[in-house]
Amino acid sequence: MSGVGPVEPGEGTRAWDDIEPPPPTGHEQAQGHPAALYYARHRRAVLASAVAAVLLAGGGYLYATRPQPPPPAVGPYPSQVVDVTYLGEEGSPRNAPRGSFTFAVRVTALSGPTITVVEVSQPYAGLSLTSMPKPPFRMRTGFGHKIVVTMNVTECANTPRNAGLPFLDVTLRNTRAIEDHSYILGERYAHDLSEALQVACSNDPSSLAKR
Amino acid sequence: MPGKGLLIVRQRSLIAITAALAAGALTLTACGSRDDDGGSDSGSDGTTVVIGVDAPLTGDLSALGLGIKNSVDLAAKTANKEKTVEGITFKVEALDDQAQPSSGQQNAVKFVADKDVIGAVGPLNSSVAESMQKVFDDAKLVQVSPANTGPTLTQGTDWQNKKVRTYKSYFRTATTDAIQGPFAAQYVYNDAKKKKVFVIDDKKTYGAGLAATFTGEFKKLGGKVVGTQHIDPDSKDFSAVATQVKSSGADVVYYGGEYPQAGPLSKQIKAAGSKIPVVGGDGIFDPTFIQLAGKDSTGDLATSVGAPVEDLPSAKEFVANYKAAGYKEDFAAYGGYSYDSAWAIIEAVKKVVEDNDGKLPDDARAKVTEAVQGVSFDGVTGKVSFDEYGDTTNKQLTVYSVEGGAWKPVKSGTYTG
Repeated sequence: MSGVGPVEPGEGTRAWDDIEPPPPTGHEQAQGHPAALYYARHRRAVLASAVAAVLLAGGGYLYATRPQPPPPAVGPYPSQVVDVTYLGEEGSPRNAPRGSFTFAVRVTALSGPTITVVEVSQPYAGLSLTSMPKPPFRMRTGFGHKIVVTMNVTECANTPRNAGLPFLDVTLRNTRAIEDHSYILGERYAHDLSEALQVACSNDPSSLAKR
Repeated sequence: MPGKGLLIVRQRSLIAITAALAAGALTLTACGSRDDDGGSDSGSDGTTVVIGVDAPLTGDLSALGLGIKNSVDLAAKTANKEKTVEGITFKVEALDDQAQPSSGQQNAVKFVADKDVIGAVGPLNSSVAESMQKVFDDAKLVQVSPANTGPTLTQGTDWQNKKVRTYKSYFRTATTDAIQGPFAAQYVYNDAKKKKVFVIDDKKTYGAGLAATFTGEFKKLGGKVVGTQHIDPDSKDFSAVATQVKSSGADVVYYGGEYPQAGPLSKQIKAAGSKIPVVGGDGIFDPTFIQLAGKDSTGDLATSVGAPVEDLPSAKEFVANYKAAGYKEDFAAYGGYSYDSAWAIIEAVKKVVEDNDGKLPDDARAKVTEAVQGVSFDGVTGKVSFDEYGDTTNKQLTVYSVEGGAWKPVKSGTYTG
């Protein structure tokens, strides 16, 4: 006899004998391993906890391996969604130097996030350029913005007086990138530019001297 | 050992828990929409039509040709998987033209003779296209090239004065040398600040035509042509012309031709003592050029059709699908354009079938040719549609420079005229 009797039921406890089968014998007896003893006394709680743990683990696994939504789409490069169209000649501004060539283009951001026109330029050494509205300015997507460009001859020897496909360079910026893009405005622009430059350089003695 | 009654109760509990867990897992799994749709490459019934591919699949230009073939294959597989045309399965048959006009013509005859062929993609070379156009046109069989840039193919021989379309069955998704040559001239003269050019070409339709359009614009801008020469494309010894370049005082060389010759030409020009850039068109825009030209090719330039693929959001899916398909060869310079060429045919077949109560009509070839003229869709390379000459309406070009042993984009332009 060990001399250690069963623990007296305390407050809030009750005897299990009426619903429990006879206590196990041998090494599986409740009075054996403390874990077994604990399990025997709190079987429902242990099972409920185990179920909860397994469900939690399973749910966690499924959550962790759930199909991921695609990452937010990166916007397009600005040059891919901007259209620039030559509209034709315009009257030169009052303060423009004699022999200036003024024309208009329509710039349209076709889609995507807001695009800013950072700069309008041209690549020819003998010309300078101003434009209205003055860059930088933001474009409303889907809306055609008219830009009036005035070119001034600075040195006739370096003007594209007969270029077949002259460029107009536009620097564009959006959340994706800042890009210099050349727009080749076509034959009508080439014709108008050539004609204007020939007139400007034919009539300007100072320019003629530099040829 | 527990008593039998307890064991049964516990077993029941475990079974119930397991069942609950299994049901929960299944429910949760079902809630997730994993995209394992497991589509197949072809339908099990309906009509099978063939998209022919003509390109150089062997020889020096096969890197470009195999990229064309694989990209068309990807388009057909995609259309079959997505059932783009209900009741129609697309099959691809590729023939090797070895970049030879005579082989291209024979291939065109074979495609025409095969009643299942509904359209063809190719070729790579403008000279090969010239030999194929009439064969296809007589049979009203549509041909869409992803790579031809010679202006005469769509706009007639007198295109500089009066544009006349000769063949209504011919279309292309690449822009023409009427733009590419001047685009290169503008960049070389204005941006690279080169004023004296030595112009070389390989005497072929593409090379000579491109050199001519470059030269015309370069002179108009004020540039000086200090020498011209033709090379024999069957030779790899260009030492004589390299010496001429050296003595000409040129600050840039423009070459109209393709990379198998351009690479050794660049190498030999530098070896002769001219440390000046060699510039070419889309025909030299391939990594093989850099391999052939060696490390001194740094600073050489090429223009190519379209924008760099990495700049195009529309190309991402194509690039990913091409990789996933496991093709051995790179899609190369014309992959996106080839996919779009094939897709133009697929879109046309779709329209023809839908207009004919879901079936191909008896005169399907003629109807498909007509329908290609009217296609308009968002492709890999951007909006795909054709103008009154059969040319693409998407006219972007990019200048690339050899830097660190690879082609790097330096400037892009868009023709909006």
